[in-house]
Amino acid sequence: MKTVIRTNNLSKVYKDAAAPVHALKNVSLEFIQGEFTAIVGPSGSGKTTFLNVIGGLDKPTEGSVVIDGVDIATLKESQLFDFRLRHIGFVFQSYNLIPVLTATENVSFIMLLQKQPKKEMERRAKEMLEQVGLSDKLDVRPGKLSGGQQQRVAVARALASKPDFVLADEPTANLDTESAFNLLDIMARLNKEENITLIFSTHDQRVIERASRVITLVDGAVAKDEAFDR
Amino acid sequence: MKIILKLAWRNIWRNRRRTLITISSILFAVLLAIIFFSMEKGTYEQMIDSMVRYSTGYIQIQDVMFEEEPSIDHSLHYDDSLQALLARHKEQIEFYVPRLQNFALVATENVSRASMVVGIDPGLEDQLSNLSENLIAGRFLEDGEKGIMIGSGLAEILRAGIGDTLVLLGQGFHGATAAGKFEITGIIGLNIPDLNNNIIYMTVERAQWFYMADNQLTSIIIMPKDPAQTQLIAQSLAESVDPEWHRVLTWEEMLADILKLMQFDMASTWVMMFILYIVIAFGLFGTILTMMIERQKEFALLFALGMKRSMLAAMCFIESLFMSIAGTLAGVAASIPIIIYFVYNPIRLSGGMADVIADYGFEPILPFSSGAEVFYIQAVTVLIISFLIGLYPVYKVFRLDVMKRH
Repeated sequence: MKTVIRTNNLSKVYKDAAAPVHALKNVSLEFIQGEFTAIVGPSGSGKTTFLNVIGGLDKPTEGSVVIDGVDIATLKESQLFDFRLRHIGFVFQSYNLIPVLTATENVSFIMLLQKQPKKEMERRAKEMLEQVGLSDKLDVRPGKLSGGQQQRVAVARALASKPDFVLADEPTANLDTESAFNLLDIMARLNKEENITLIFSTHDQRVIERASRVITLVDGAVAKDEAFDR
Repeated sequence: MKIILKLAWRNIWRNRRRTLITISSILFAVLLAIIFFSMEKGTYEQMIDSMVRYSTGYIQIQDVMFEEEPSIDHSLHYDDSLQALLARHKEQIEFYVPRLQNFALVATENVSRASMVVGIDPGLEDQLSNLSENLIAGRFLEDGEKGIMIGSGLAEILRAGIGDTLVLLGQGFHGATAAGKFEITGIIGLNIPDLNNNIIYMTVERAQWFYMADNQLTSIIIMPKDPAQTQLIAQSLAESVDPEWHRVLTWEEMLADILKLMQFDMASTWVMMFILYIVIAFGLFGTILTMMIERQKEFALLFALGMKRSMLAAMCFIESLFMSIAGTLAGVAASIPIIIYFVYNPIRLSGGMADVIADYGFEPILPFSSGAEVFYIQAVTVLIISFLIGLYPVYKVFRLDVMKRH
């Protein structure tokens, strides 16, 4: 099995607070291709920081994040932009979509930045929106979509460019039960069909129950790392 | 690039009302600035045009002392050498107008008044200033005419009309006494009150006879084929005349004091326009600032998705440029019919303001200029302002800490 991400003694200290905050402490983990991992833990346990650091949005204070053989902590900002573009998909808790673009344009956006051919981009965007059940919303802007539909567009966008892995920061937090189940069904199906590695930070029991691996963070350190056969 | 333009265009219409208010503020500021500038420039152009047409021409040859002491004793002798000089420049000169100008006391049976006598070549003078169009009674001067043509204001002051005889008394060339009786054959209405109340036209030959100044002229007014060549022609003439006796002056030299005054006055116009530009700048800056503050999460999202800072900065810059271009074009478009209307229908002044302007010897109107620079100077200035304001979001985007906004 191919290792997609490996973190070595990852630490993150925020020094701009009154007292230094140790958001991550010596976190060493490996993520295998096709894994569906839930990062859980109480608020302030370092879940979002962990996702930000392995997503290249934030730099670790110590340690390394190796993705596809590259330590991303050593990359310059412009190199990181390119790296994220080619390797990582993101789904956030809220404000996921570009409000002035239609669903199709949002899904195509990363492929557009990757300079993929227009026809291929349109075909893939349409295919992904069909997969998330939004084939009737291709030309609709985010403002006219429900919260659940917006998250499904975000998932379609994150997966459309075929990244090595998708980081999802509490994607179901603002969704009602039905929408949350819908989204999870879609992500679980795409995880299996496209063999994409999914890493969620979540409090949501519904997500945890579907994950093949659950990592519990407490005070920035790994307290538990459990695998499930699902 | 296409996606940046698409995003920028759609972004500015996200808050349609705010964008329309911003564009409107630019529109009105550009409109006001154009109207203001057009009025100021039009006034100056009219003043210069009046002075050049009725008074100075583009180039004059004078006696070397005439400008310092404008007296008939400082007139120039229009001899063969001067005629030959003008003939040598005929390729560059459209025509030239001889004038003999002096003062005289004019009297009727009951009224007398100091006035200005201008001896002219009727045909050439008409070519210079369309003087015959101002004729309101009698006939226009002809070559060999012995009568005179006077301003309608002077006619009113003297209570004289066509067919009446005026007595003129003055000092002729080199102290000779100039005296004569002249029949009024024409009355002209000039727009400049100071001239209209004082002027007497007669043929240049008649004036030379009256002032006993054979072949003397106070000035030769030269109209170049291409006014833009004025300096070159003047320089060439100046190199050919005898500097001990003759002097060549351009209209800019003859109107130097007025031009300086105009430049000084223009400074106050620029102050007013600077205030308008500040209004434009703050209006645009306010919108850009609000858009930047509102969109921090969106910027963080775009970064996370892989959009580079340079692309995001370009998008923000183009947004400010779009609004400025829209406001500027709308302002220029709105100003065109207004300016054209006022070019053909200048505002006629009345009351004290009109009197002040008339006292300076100009027609009491507020003319407008429709020169291209009236429009493009404003457009370019506003675009420079928006370019500078557009640099603010660029600066902010390059300094944006994604993690604080995420």
